[in-house]
Amino acid sequence: MNRPELPRHVAVVGAGLAGVSACEQLRELGYDGRLTLFGAEPHLPYDRPPLSKDLLLGKQTADEIVLRKAEWYAAKDIDLRLGTPVTAIRPDEGRIELVHGTVAVDAILLATGGRPRPLPVPGGDHPAITVLRSLDDAVALKDRLAPGVRLGVIGAGLIGAEVAASATVLGCQATLIDPAPLPLEHVVGAEIADLLHSQHRANGVRVLVGAVASVEDLGGAIRLHLSDSNETVDCDVVVVGVGIVSDDSLAASAGVAVNRGVLVDSAQRSEHPRIFAAGDAARPTGPDGPLPNVEHWESALHEGKAAAAAIIGAPEPVRPVSRFWSDRYGWHLEVVGEFRGEVVLRGELGGESFAAFALVDGKCVGAVAVNRPSEMKAARRLIERGLPVRAGHLADESVDLRSLVTGNRTPAGGPR
Amino acid sequence: MTRGIDHAIPVCSVDELQDGEAVRVPREQAGTADDITVFNDNGEYFALNDTCTHASASLAEGWVEDGQVECPLHSGAFCLRTGEALGLPAVTDTVAHRVDVLGRIVFLLPDESQLTDGSGHEPA
Ligand SMILES: Cc1cc2nc3c(=O)[nH]c(=O)nc-3n(C[C@H](O)[C@H](O)[C@H](O)COP(=O)(O)OP(=O)(O)OC[C@H]3O[C@@H](n4cnc5c(N)ncnc54)[C@H](O)[C@@H]3O)c2cc1C
Ligand code: FES
Repeated sequence: MNRPELPRHVAVVGAGLAGVSACEQLRELGYDGRLTLFGAEPHLPYDRPPLSKDLLLGKQTADEIVLRKAEWYAAKDIDLRLGTPVTAIRPDEGRIELVHGTVAVDAILLATGGRPRPLPVPGGDHPAITVLRSLDDAVALKDRLAPGVRLGVIGAGLIGAEVAASATVLGCQATLIDPAPLPLEHVVGAEIADLLHSQHRANGVRVLVGAVASVEDLGGAIRLHLSDSNETVDCDVVVVGVGIVSDDSLAASAGVAVNRGVLVDSAQRSEHPRIFAAGDAARPTGPDGPLPNVEHWESALHEGKAAAAAIIGAPEPVRPVSRFWSDRYGWHLEVVGEFRGEVVLRGELGGESFAAFALVDGKCVGAVAVNRPSEMKAARRLIERGLPVRAGHLADESVDLRSLVTGNRTPAGGPR
Repeated sequence: MTRGIDHAIPVCSVDELQDGEAVRVPREQAGTADDITVFNDNGEYFALNDTCTHASASLAEGWVEDGQVECPLHSGAFCLRTGEALGLPAVTDTVAHRVDVLGRIVFLLPDESQLTDGSGHEPA
């Protein structure tokens, strides 16, 4: 499968985290050919997690959330073409098309991310109904979130929960609507999902279980009608956070296999030898077909790096265990690996901080924690290194988890 | 101008800072703009500004291994020896400080560029 020769021109389509990460890694691996990064947005590539957190809260500015400063791209000889969407790819001819003109390329990395799924109900396109994916979305939303504003949040997943939390801090009256009584239950288990979800009510957010069936225009404000109940919610602004649709349109129109994402192998290669995909736009496939697409920050980072390696035929890097985080109401939630098997609790559920570990056959396979970042780092290494652990040690707060990773290195109970 | 060990700040005894551990010296004590964290990585001692240059986490809560500290919040990593930011999301280098061990005491010598009095610091 190795390419006979190195590409002379690599085009990275999509200047988000996966695209920037791939460019960084290409240079890191010694690729010194032409490298062009196309971004549809006019902004210097930025980080998305702060959009629903510190940016919305006014704690960070747009300038502070850039992934890399402009000089970095120049120093790495990366031709950064902002405000330049790629309109089509012609992999067989080795070309990509822009609004004006075409460019010859040898390899194409699709790192186009995803678009927020729209609200598929009558009235769902009302201007008071917004989404949160881009910096422009976040800036526009921030302008509308004044104290007393009635905010409806549809979807209580990660972004919905964070928006409700941030809006509450900003003095808005938030209503959070989701058909699932326990969002994230499948990821962190019922008990922890319940704790996380109950945070909303405890902080003054109105929580409704239900699906929005239609949107009524009240002239300025809007009224959400929920199905299966006569419940209505009047809002000044609504944020829809019901997931994303992977942007696989360029691959699909070029006839490259997609299935809710560009289908790629474990090295981020699509079925076409010139096309690679990474980040939210890519969907991994296993022996039994497409796997779930992981739409988190770290996976975009690592998929970008892996794609860089594949593009120049370098060995496939070892992937760290999956991880994501989320921040709401002062809780820093972290999830690594898979939360299945025997659950071992460390600390008090619902206390200021706690962790829970998932064990299978005497090994940690996953962990969830609130405000315990160091322990999550230990958990991650326990998982990655496949180290045997005892439930009793994990549960015992007097055992320094680092000692379980480094074994002989650190005795338990030393100062931190 | 380099400062002698008589300008150094005693941090702790070597027994109080085991391998993989970190201890934070408050900025008031260090006389610097930021707190400084002293690390023990496999028997070697290092010191960096405490606040992660990515957002605002304390590197004292980080994971110390293989000459690096990994930030608790978003896993950005820094070289313990030089303070170099080792890749996304950590892209801005931090400041490394000198650490000396005399007898069994770990001393911190804050980098002069970081002193709040802006000068070469007066000996006591
Ligand atoms: C508000 C918010 C908060 C989040 N918080 C967290 C969090 O706390 N923790 C976590 O783990 N993850 C979080 N995430 C998820 C994480 O940010 C994403 O998984 C990550 O950004 C995906 O990176 P990407 O590069 O694949 O896609 P994106 O970041 O979406 O980048 C894709 C880029 O490609 C551009 N593009 C698309 N089509 C074209 C084209 N044809 N030509 C040129 N450019 C194109 C787009 O404009 C976009 O800029 C959050 C996401 C959002 C939106
Ligand atoms: S605060 Fe350190 S990596 Fe983000």
